[in-house]
Amino acid sequence: MKKTREHESTRGIWVFGDYRNYFQNRVTLQLIAKAKELAEKLATEVTVLVLGDQVHQFAMEYAAHGADVVMAVEHPALKTYQVETYARVVARLVEQWKPHVFLAGATAFGREFFPRLAKRLRTGLSADCVSLEVDPEHGWLIQTTPSFGGELLADVITPDHRPQMATVHPGMFKERVHDKRAVSRIVYPEVQVEADERVQLVRSKPEQAHKGNLEDAPVVVVGGRGLGSRENFRLLFELAECLGGEVGATRPAVMAGWAKEDRLLGQTGKNVKPKLLITVGTSGAVQYTTGIQGAETIIAVNRDPNAPIFQIADLGLVGEGRSILSLLLEKLRRRL
Amino acid sequence: MNLEPTMKQSVIRRSVRRFAEEKIALLAAAMDAKAEFPRALAGEMASLDYFGLEIPKEHGGAGLDTVSAAMVIEELSRVSGAVGLCVSVHNSVAASPVHEFGNAHQRKVFLEPMARGEKIGTFCLTEPNAGSDASAIETTAVKTGDGYLLNGNKIFVTNGGVSGMNLVFALNRPAEERKRYSVFIVESERAGLEKGPVEDLMGMRGNPVCPLVFHDCYVPSENRLGEEGQGLKIALASLSGGRIGIGAQALGIAQASLDVSGKYARERYQFGRPLCAFGGVQGLLADMAVRIEASRLLVYRAASMRHQGLPHTKESAMGKLFASETAVHAARTGLQIHGGYGYTKAYPIERYYRDAKVCEIYEGTSEIQRMVIARSLLAEKGKS
Amino acid sequence: MNIVVCIKQVPDAPTIRMDRERMTIIREGVESIINPLDAVALDAALTLKRKQGSRVTVLTMGPPQSEEALREALAAGADQAVLVTDPRFAGADTLATSHALARAVSRLEPFPDLILCGKQSIDSDTGHVGPQIAEELDLPQVCGATEIHLEEGSLMVKQVSDGFLNSLRVSLPALVTVSSDLSSPGYLSLGEIESAFSGRQILRWGLDDLQLRESEVGFEGSATRVLRLYRPPPKRKGEILNGPSPEIVERLIKKLESLSIIDEEDAGA
Repeated sequence: MKKTREHESTRGIWVFGDYRNYFQNRVTLQLIAKAKELAEKLATEVTVLVLGDQVHQFAMEYAAHGADVVMAVEHPALKTYQVETYARVVARLVEQWKPHVFLAGATAFGREFFPRLAKRLRTGLSADCVSLEVDPEHGWLIQTTPSFGGELLADVITPDHRPQMATVHPGMFKERVHDKRAVSRIVYPEVQVEADERVQLVRSKPEQAHKGNLEDAPVVVVGGRGLGSRENFRLLFELAECLGGEVGATRPAVMAGWAKEDRLLGQTGKNVKPKLLITVGTSGAVQYTTGIQGAETIIAVNRDPNAPIFQIADLGLVGEGRSILSLLLEKLRRRL
Repeated sequence: MNLEPTMKQSVIRRSVRRFAEEKIALLAAAMDAKAEFPRALAGEMASLDYFGLEIPKEHGGAGLDTVSAAMVIEELSRVSGAVGLCVSVHNSVAASPVHEFGNAHQRKVFLEPMARGEKIGTFCLTEPNAGSDASAIETTAVKTGDGYLLNGNKIFVTNGGVSGMNLVFALNRPAEERKRYSVFIVESERAGLEKGPVEDLMGMRGNPVCPLVFHDCYVPSENRLGEEGQGLKIALASLSGGRIGIGAQALGIAQASLDVSGKYARERYQFGRPLCAFGGVQGLLADMAVRIEASRLLVYRAASMRHQGLPHTKESAMGKLFASETAVHAARTGLQIHGGYGYTKAYPIERYYRDAKVCEIYEGTSEIQRMVIARSLLAEKGKS
Repeated sequence: MNIVVCIKQVPDAPTIRMDRERMTIIREGVESIINPLDAVALDAALTLKRKQGSRVTVLTMGPPQSEEALREALAAGADQAVLVTDPRFAGADTLATSHALARAVSRLEPFPDLILCGKQSIDSDTGHVGPQIAEELDLPQVCGATEIHLEEGSLMVKQVSDGFLNSLRVSLPALVTVSSDLSSPGYLSLGEIESAFSGRQILRWGLDDLQLRESEVGFEGSATRVLRLYRPPPKRKGEILNGPSPEIVERLIKKLESLSIIDEEDAGA
């Protein structure tokens, strides 16, 4: 294990610029804003690292959103985000420039790429942080990371290794307003780039909305054992259609055959963070609720007023799932 | 004296619990309501070796020890008493006797299909005039050429509605001075075997209990289990093992009652507090828990003794007696904790209450168990 | 083909208890299970075994009771089980854990063609160990696979990542982490459990067997430290509506309007 680094010689907060599409880009902008706040406390600058084939427009955008420095590497081999290729290049840059802190969004790519990079650099990394702070006295980045599906939080530090790395949960911070007049330096470092040929992307297509992309749906309606039957469960599909959302299910509902496995939410299924989640006939077992805790608003329907699901709901309705759903559908249809 | 489960038993318990919670739990209420036993479920359980628990591998079973087998029954019963009953009876009073008393041919032809779950087994003992008094049976087995003709009525045959293999306890004819009994293995397809309508029971409704009528039912000699006249010995031996299974079954129902009651007591609020905050309710839960622990120790001790080949008549009777009375107590107490809601079918506790009662009756009533225990005590030298 | 499946034994408790002094989770008295996504990875490996006759080795790092997870894996059909265990491995973060595991993989004869693990564990939730093993062993990686199959000596992997459905061709040897969509593990048969516990050997490797130094593993070998462990503050204080369905459904509709999920009803409609 490498010896303790001389961390007096590291400086700067780096943010990995993920610009692939709207969603990832927003995360980058959120991180830049937070990095600026942390950088002020550490009396240092924020550098956004952008890799790709043609990245000028993104560099400008990051500059306008608060980056002090944008470090851009343009090379055809970097056109597609590829874990091994990126890890090699970025590791070289880090070893050259020695940043103090390095942040990335906890996108699927970030969560695959950053651990590989951290291992290459033999430094510490925390995952999917919900909060970041600094301790200026020690120069520590205090990383708040969830475990047990969010039941516990840990404040983690990387005292002796650099850079201090973290992936950050999307939506935790507010991006800065676009400022056309913001000034920043754009740097094009000299660095060796070679593609790793061992993984070939044969085909890539966007996930179709109609294929039930739960994780991106703004509204998710979920059904559990309490709905009682396949016919009742079907009401959820109707409601989802009305509200422009998708349908999720708990394990008992999947086991009963009312919904396919790809709709499963929870510990062994998907995590969703929609704007609105309506959960019907689910008692609120932890194995399920870890999958929905991130929703902005949770509305629960259950005939048992003491069901634990009401502990995590913003609004609860006590009543029979089927009758409430039928009534709701009836009223919504009258309006449309 | 190590009372903790082994790592293997921990894995077994957890695997069966997962299967039960994922595959049986959603069916349990419907099975009870419609009084139906789902064939598909039996097939799945067969593929996991649930129908050959203690039968050695070379005969298609899982080769488990008695304690592990009892755990399987407990976990199944915790989710559905009817399923636990099916598996328990099949294993302990149908498959096990054939393994213990059968010859090589019988093991191959009768035991192996049972161990693989291809045929579900029954033990036909009880008759309209013979319940606790098993010796009063009137079903006869008349020696005819190379076989026997069976005539009689067997009632309350657990698993009867879906069985493929039936062990029949019959009186040998021609009569001699002292009554002689034999046990015959009768395949359900045999001519002269007719199954009556499934009983409309208070509980265990998912188990197809029905009468079996034998009318000049011919079975070849090779279907006779053990020697002529060994019937009573075989019956008593299988009941002894069966008691452990029923004890485990009752334990499962009791544990389920405690699980749901504890959950309810935490979630139900009255007078601004959860029920579990009240001393009275705490006392009820504590009583349930203590009795269940005691039942568990008695049942598993009997299982352990059986596995070691030690005599265990008294211990298995104690386990069955105490666990069955605990199941009834736990289900009743649990229902009380649930209050009005417990009296509705929206909660499973009323089904546990209905299922539990029969545990005090079949495979030897509690009164019979007490006699067995007393006799065993009195027979021990040096004890009064 | 030789496949190694890395599994982790995790607590099955829905409610967690903490050791506030050592900033760790209390594991005694809590039932342990194979991390659900690792069980999916194992199932995928066993499917490949059934289809192409691969040999499956299951590997875990943990305290002695992790043996239970390995026995379960053997009962499911794994051919060989390795327990990497040593008190000095305790307190490891993902950096140190991946180091010990990578070393164990290198010690296997022959070196595997494919390493499978779950995308993340239900306790630490990081998803780091797979990629970090891949980095140490210089293997290509794909995370969150929803489908895998072999095609002419390469591995074809489907992945859902950041809104894209990707099909990738990976040259072997490689490491793949799996998502729950990949497969649904079945149930263990009792006979297989019985066999897994009688007469099956488990290889046990400690610090010295893996020729590691104390400074490279465990607490000492970790780069991150936990300052404190705590429960998040409850963030929702919900309103519960009781009453006749038509009334409460009206209230629900008002809520949907306030969230702009549906448009407010025109006064004249």
